Formats: sequence, structure tokens, C-alpha cells
Amino acid sequence: MLVGGHGDSNPNTSWLKSRGMWFSYTIGMLVLHLIILSVPLLTVPLAWTITNLIHNLIHFVFLHIIKGAPWIPQDQGESRRLTHWEQIDNGRQFTKTRKFLMATPIIMFFLTCFYTKNDPNHFAVNFVSLVFVTLPKLPQFHEVRLFGLNKY
Amino acid sequence: MTAMSFVFIPFTFIFNDVASIYVYLQIMLALLILWIIFKKKDPNGKCKLTQEEEAELISKWQPFPLVKPAPKSHRGYDKRVTEGKIGKYINVNGINCLNLSSHDFLGLNEEKIIESSAIESIRKYGIGSCGPRGFFGTVDVHLELEERLAKFMDLEEAVVYAYGFSTISSAIPAYAKRGDVIFVDEEVNFAIQKGLDASRSEIKYFKHNDMKDLEELLLKQAQLDSKNTKKAARTRRFLVIEGIYMKTGRLCNLPELVSLSKKYKLRIFVDESISFGTLGKNGKGVTEHFNIPVTDVDLIMTSLEMAAASVGGFCVGSSFIVEHQRLSGLGYCFSASLPPLLTTAAIKALDILENRHELIDELQNVCCTFHQYLLKSDIIMNCFTLIGDDISPIKHLRLRNNGNNVQDLGSIISKCEHMNLAITDTAYLDIEKKTPIPSIKLAINRLLTNDDLIRVINILEKAVC
Repeated sequence: MLVGGHGDSNPNTSWLKSRGMWFSYTIGMLVLHLIILSVPLLTVPLAWTITNLIHNLIHFVFLHIIKGAPWIPQDQGESRRLTHWEQIDNGRQFTKTRKFLMATPIIMFFLTCFYTKNDPNHFAVNFVSLVFVTLPKLPQFHEVRLFGLNKY
Repeated sequence: MTAMSFVFIPFTFIFNDVASIYVYLQIMLALLILWIIFKKKDPNGKCKLTQEEEAELISKWQPFPLVKPAPKSHRGYDKRVTEGKIGKYINVNGINCLNLSSHDFLGLNEEKIIESSAIESIRKYGIGSCGPRGFFGTVDVHLELEERLAKFMDLEEAVVYAYGFSTISSAIPAYAKRGDVIFVDEEVNFAIQKGLDASRSEIKYFKHNDMKDLEELLLKQAQLDSKNTKKAARTRRFLVIEGIYMKTGRLCNLPELVSLSKKYKLRIFVDESISFGTLGKNGKGVTEHFNIPVTDVDLIMTSLEMAAASVGGFCVGSSFIVEHQRLSGLGYCFSASLPPLLTTAAIKALDILENRHELIDELQNVCCTFHQYLLKSDIIMNCFTLIGDDISPIKHLRLRNNGNNVQDLGSIISKCEHMNLAITDTAYLDIEKKTPIPSIKLAINRLLTNDDLIRVINILEKAVC
């Protein structure tokens, strides 16, 4: 199957490695935040929390819930039962891509805490969302389905 | 409050009146980031070997054979090579033999008209038909053949397939689906068995030509149906039989089968591969032989590869039934259509069938005479049991002792070959439903004269001794 070209059978494992990816990612987050910030009714702490929640929601849904690869419509082989996070770099741990994606939610959390002045309500919400996206990224949770959730 | 004031808040201010748990959590997270950043990459999983280690591993490796070596008794070792045209005589391993091994019952392979019409057709249409019937593969001769076949069988419509085997194995699953019930004779040929597999229906086998066994099965099914009438209303019941059974050479008991299928509301499918062109006054097959109206049978499936001396197959029945196969017959939809030259050959064969009824009489006479000769010969009857009806052009000779059957048969066949007679033994796959006892299969054709028949008997007697 000629999916990724150059013998790349599953581009899910490679496009995050491509050049300018980290920069584009940061720009994307900034644009998202500025758009939310420009909504008149939202205060600055609220805008940061919303940005963080959207960011973590995207991480959770696209990296940890949806399985398979959109590039290979028919026979997905191994990747059918793996989430995108588990497919990255063919399951190799602590590669640069993985480090980057692991660090971003935490850095986002720090920024949010900073701009919400550690307000308890904001802190709680953001911390819970952080747990949801950081735990499944740990190598100990590789291919682990807690309570059989999202198993098939 | 402006956004600017938020940007320049001093750090100390943030932690001034905040519970210490928040601070601890954030310190932990900071440590986590540090751990993530300074953690080394996992090894790639590729271990590097020295050249010596590599050489050692390679020398140790012994390849498995791709295919297991076949036993010495395998048919593949017994190479029988035929040369030239196959007609009344056949050249096997350089010996010119009388041919009792191919299914050309009417001897149409020897007809010059069929050959010349096929050659003409190549000049007009070329070799292939370039696609399946639904995708640019239909040529006018296909339509003509279908029309002619339907007219010949006195039915509404015919559908032509490119291969005899796939005719039968795709016609059955075109109608029978999961949840349906099919009643089948246990000695049906392999094509029917494959069709049954593909249908995913529930298959119920009855003993060969045993009407009582079939009726018992039908009664059981009727009892089951009466328990759950809702399900029974949606279950279709089929009966699949052969006109003349390839594996035994026996005729089916069609009158009984038709009356049973009317009584128990079965749809009856008949595989007439052997009986087409050999039974009945006009060669219309088993229905004509038993004087049963063709409309009593729901579908007739036939190969054109036997008496019709061409390639392919066809199904005939009412338009309502047959039309369904043009979209649901897998062999019809997805394989390239019959090459025009073979189609014209089949049309010419049909011409001959229509105009020369005496051919069928001649064939039936030869079959009956040969049957009598076999029964009269004490030597043959001491060794073999003769299976098959006298009118059937296929006859099976089964060895009486149940010893090392297959090899005995092989030696008899090779002896016959040296005495200029080509016969074959039956070959079955292990996966077949019921593997019959191995036997010699004799295929009779119309061109055999009385002298030929006596010679065949003499050769067989000598080979057996």
C-alpha cells in the first residue's frame, strides 16, 4: 500500500517528526488563545483556562481515544487497535516527538496557573484535565486499557 | 484590569496567599518536565552483531521446505501427457489410445463445423471478450447463445457463465443465504459442495438417492418449522440434486423429488452437467427423460464442457428467477465473459443437438450395450462392482476387495494404456463431504462402435488378470 510514500506504511508515526512541527504547534496554540482572548465577555484567567481545556481535550480525543490510522482506510493491521499516541515512532518511548507532546500540556498548565494567579477553582479544573492527558502518555500506560475502557 | 498588568505580575506575588498544596504540585510537575527532558531515548530494538556471530547464525539456519514432499503414491508422480487433439482417440505418453476418459459424450469434438465456426469467430471477434458481461464483455453471440438455450429448453431465459464449475458454485449462493436450509444428496459433485459452502446456509445431506431418508429430514424440518412459524415463514428451503451423479453415474429419482418438493414447498435446483445432451429424446436432460414439465424444476444449472464440447456453463429457468443472477451470480458479474469463439462453438453444438436427434439415441444405445457387456463379463464382474445406470454415459468400476485400492487401480490403468485404451480413476480432494471408494471412471461417447466396445472389454479383462 502506497500510503506515506518512500516505504512509510503508516504516516501517523512520522508527520509529527516533520520540520517546523513544534513551531507550527506553538503558533496554533497562540492563535487559539488570542481568538478566545478577543471574545469580549471572557476575562484573562477564563481565556487561559478555556485555551488549556481545549488543548487538553484535543490531546485526549485525538491521541488517546481514536484508534487506527486515517491514512490506511481498509486493512489497518496492527495500528487498528493502537491509539495515535501509541503509534508515534512505532511505539518507541522518549523520542523527541513524545517528549515535546508530553511537555506541552504541563507547560500550558504552568502558564494557566500563572495567569489565573492560582485561583483554586481554575486550578482544580486545569489539574484534572492535565491528569487526563499526562497519565496515558506515561510509558507504564502503553497499550494499557484501564477497566477495559476503549478496548476495541 | 488590562492584559498588560497580568503579564508583568511578579512571581512572588502569585504564591503569597496560596495553599501550599498548589506549590508542591507545581514543583512536582516541574520535576516531571525535567525528568521527561533528560530521559534517554529507548533503544531502537536493533542489536548489532559482529560478522562472526552473523556468519554463525546464518550457517545454523536451515530453511523449511515451502511444500511438504508428496507421498510416492501421489497422482503428480504419475505423469500422463497427452498430445494433439482429443477426440475418439487420444495420444497418451506417445501411445495412441481409444478414449474412454473425456466427457465428450456426443463426440462433438470431432465435428468439423464446430471447429470452422470457431475459427471464423476468431477472425471476426478476436480471442478474448475483454471483460465481464456487465462491463463491455457482452458480444452479440452471447445474447444469441442465451436466447437459443432458452428456446432449446422451452424456458423463458438463460444466463451464460464463462466456466462450468463456477456456474454451479455461483448459482446456488445467488439464492440461498444465511438462515436458509438446503437439502442435498450426499454424493453431489465438488462444484455443488463449493456452492453450498459459499451460501452459508444450513446444509442437510440425505443418503444417495434415498427418498425415504429425504422425507424423514423434511418431516423433521416441518416439525421444527411448526414450532416457530414466524422464523419458518422467512426460511427458504432448497433441494439441490444432479441429473446424473458424477460420482456414481446414477440418475436422480426426479418424479419423486418433484412431488416431494411440491409437498414440502422446496425450490428444486438440478445440476444437469452430465444429463444435458445425453438424456431425453431431444437431449434436454433429465426432465425430458422422466417426462416431467421443465417448469416443475426451479433452476437448471448446466456445464457446456461435456456434451456441448465447448467451455462455460449456463442456467435456465423463468426470467423472474434467472434475471436475479445477472447481479447476484458472482461468477457472472466478476469474471470475464466466455470468449466469442467458444460461444459460437456452443451455438453450433446446439444446432447439431437440435437438428440431429439420432445422436442422442445412438449414445444411449452405446451406453446400454456397454453396460450389458460389462455385466456379462465374468472376469470384470469378479473384480469390480459396476456402479451407475445403464443409460448413463458415466460408469464407475469399484474394486471388490478393500485392500490397496488406489495402487491396484493405477496398475490396471497403466496396463490398459499399454494396450491402447485410455481410462482414468477418480480423484477426490480430502476436503470433500464424502469421499467415495476409489473407482475407475469410464466415460462413454457416441463414436464407439460395437467392435470398439468388445475391444475395451477384452483389454479390461486382460488388464485385470
